[in-house]
Amino acid sequence: MKNIFTTAVLLSILICACKKEKPIDNNQPDTYGKIEFKFFHKVDGLPLVTDTLKYINEAGNLYEVNEIQYFISDVVLHRADGSFYNINQWQDIHYVDTDIPATQTWNVFDKIPDGNYSGISFTFGINAQKNQSFMFVNPPESFMFWPDVLGGGYHYMKLNGKWQDPQQQIRFFNFHLGIGQIYGAQDTIYVHNHFQVNLPNSAFTLADKETKTIGIIMNIENWFKSPNIYDHNFWGGDIMENQDAMQAASENGHDVFSVDFGCCNK
Amino acid sequence: MKLIFQPMKRKINLIPIILLFFVTFSTCKKENPLPPDNDKPDSFNPTPYTLDLPFYFPTVLNIPPDNPMTIEGIELGRYLFYDGRLSGRTHPDSLMTCATCHLQEYGFSTGINHPKFTGGRPFGLTGIQTPHYTMPLVNLVFNSNGYLWNGMIHESNDFLYENNPLYHRRNIESLVWMGIVAPHEMYGNVDQTVQLIASIPMYAEKFEAAFGTPEVTYERISKAIAQFVRSLVSFDSKFDKYLRGEVQLTTQELQGFVLFTTESGADCFHCHGASQNPLWTTNLFYNNAKDSIFNDPRDRFAFTGDVMDKGAYKSPTLRNIELTGPYMHDGRFSTLEEVIDFYSEGLVFSPYANPLMHKLPDNGAQLTPNQKQALLSFLKTLTDESFTTNPAFSKPADL
Repeated sequence: MKNIFTTAVLLSILICACKKEKPIDNNQPDTYGKIEFKFFHKVDGLPLVTDTLKYINEAGNLYEVNEIQYFISDVVLHRADGSFYNINQWQDIHYVDTDIPATQTWNVFDKIPDGNYSGISFTFGINAQKNQSFMFVNPPESFMFWPDVLGGGYHYMKLNGKWQDPQQQIRFFNFHLGIGQIYGAQDTIYVHNHFQVNLPNSAFTLADKETKTIGIIMNIENWFKSPNIYDHNFWGGDIMENQDAMQAASENGHDVFSVDFGCCNK
Repeated sequence: MKLIFQPMKRKINLIPIILLFFVTFSTCKKENPLPPDNDKPDSFNPTPYTLDLPFYFPTVLNIPPDNPMTIEGIELGRYLFYDGRLSGRTHPDSLMTCATCHLQEYGFSTGINHPKFTGGRPFGLTGIQTPHYTMPLVNLVFNSNGYLWNGMIHESNDFLYENNPLYHRRNIESLVWMGIVAPHEMYGNVDQTVQLIASIPMYAEKFEAAFGTPEVTYERISKAIAQFVRSLVSFDSKFDKYLRGEVQLTTQELQGFVLFTTESGADCFHCHGASQNPLWTTNLFYNNAKDSIFNDPRDRFAFTGDVMDKGAYKSPTLRNIELTGPYMHDGRFSTLEEVIDFYSEGLVFSPYANPLMHKLPDNGAQLTPNQKQALLSFLKTLTDESFTTNPAFSKPADL
């Protein structure tokens, strides 16, 4: 028994010692820069044109996008040494709405320690701990609520559009992501479909007193592409109560976002 | 938004901050296009009005900085709201005011059983019908997305505001002016109204209490009525009490609520809210698939010019929906049963229908009779009788 205890203690020490990632002190650094995120929405590399039936997804659906509303949260700036900075001083959840230009710019409140960062990650949607009903009472965020009977909290995203079905009829899709449900004989299991996005090629350097503008692009076609070819004819117009569809969509989300540091050069 | 405050660790020189505050403050004052009410005496100190709201209600209030709500202002507004002489006329046949069309017993809508306006369709003093049916005046203090069915009264109308600081199309204050002059409403003129109200002895004291001096101006009339309208807040329906844990809903009402908040059910919640949006509207504009031909010169498209807004109208609140018929902008449905039938099997395709109307291929939600009844039962839990009988919102006894 004593050996087991000793081994456990040593193992714990070893695990702690091996754990490289440590948060950077969020207290006010002596030298720091600021970050401004700008959100862009593209289809096949070009800026989104809403309300126009002109796009073809991987499944061959002719489709249009009318509006997109979504949350990103828990943005983390990573360093090569494993340390990281959490953006959370004023706002740790940001709402983006293609109909509200003001939401497409996020002037981050935090004073970000200057230096080299190896990458950016964030949660698409809101994590399970934070995604609680009534935490937003004011519009537009409050309009994103996810009904309590379906798990509560908030939509991660509403992507609304239309597509042409095989009979050439125009149908409407509400590509909505949030908490999924698996209905059992006795209980309902709620599935948190939020996921982490690791932005590729997102290394950057922030100088003291610099304000860096970072473009975050949603490449809309990727929601329907990989690893799951998402066919609106198969999944239909509404998916909030279809965990399989939301899982497929969430799995596709891994490469939906990209970064553009040259987006906003003046 | 979650707010995380960073504790101060360094001493901060406050002088630049104070200077910045004054610069900002004075800049803001300059930007206010309304002429200041210079007649206020220094001792004027009206009682601020505070709203005591449940935890699930919005905290952002749409109150213009130049018209804060006060007990005295709201009380004056209540008198004017109910005083038929607001029309600028005194003959009993020509009296008209806000309350002529906005009846408390019908949740401050016209109501289908209105004693004068058959079927709930109002008309003005000269018989000209209003372009649309009446929207209820409730919880407008939380609305920042424009007023009327098409949202044409909107804070973005700055260009009108600058050119005509008193008669603009920005907010509830604007609606008072429109109500007085519009041919389909009082069809009067502002000067006549001001003159008449100023000649009524009881108002001098009320204007003084609300604004510091007894002077009657159009600006003060509109501000007082707007304050009263902003005070019309409803948060005590059976469903509110259920949310607060004070009552239980029946099985049928709960079944209706589930239908209301699920896509597989009736999917009402995306446009009309639910427990987490207790306004029971987004105050946004949707083409809800009522028609395939659009020729209303006052739809949302007429205001925005965006072709996708053809046939779109503001989503009306469902608070007190049981009382606020007839329904839709054109009052085409007399009963809630007809409305539910429409959303169940009456949707009509058009390219302009909002994508949230995803049940269009089936012409609607295809509800069973039992489901329709459950949905109806739930909708009736949104009736707030304490709102429709609140003496603070009623006609003053001495008017």
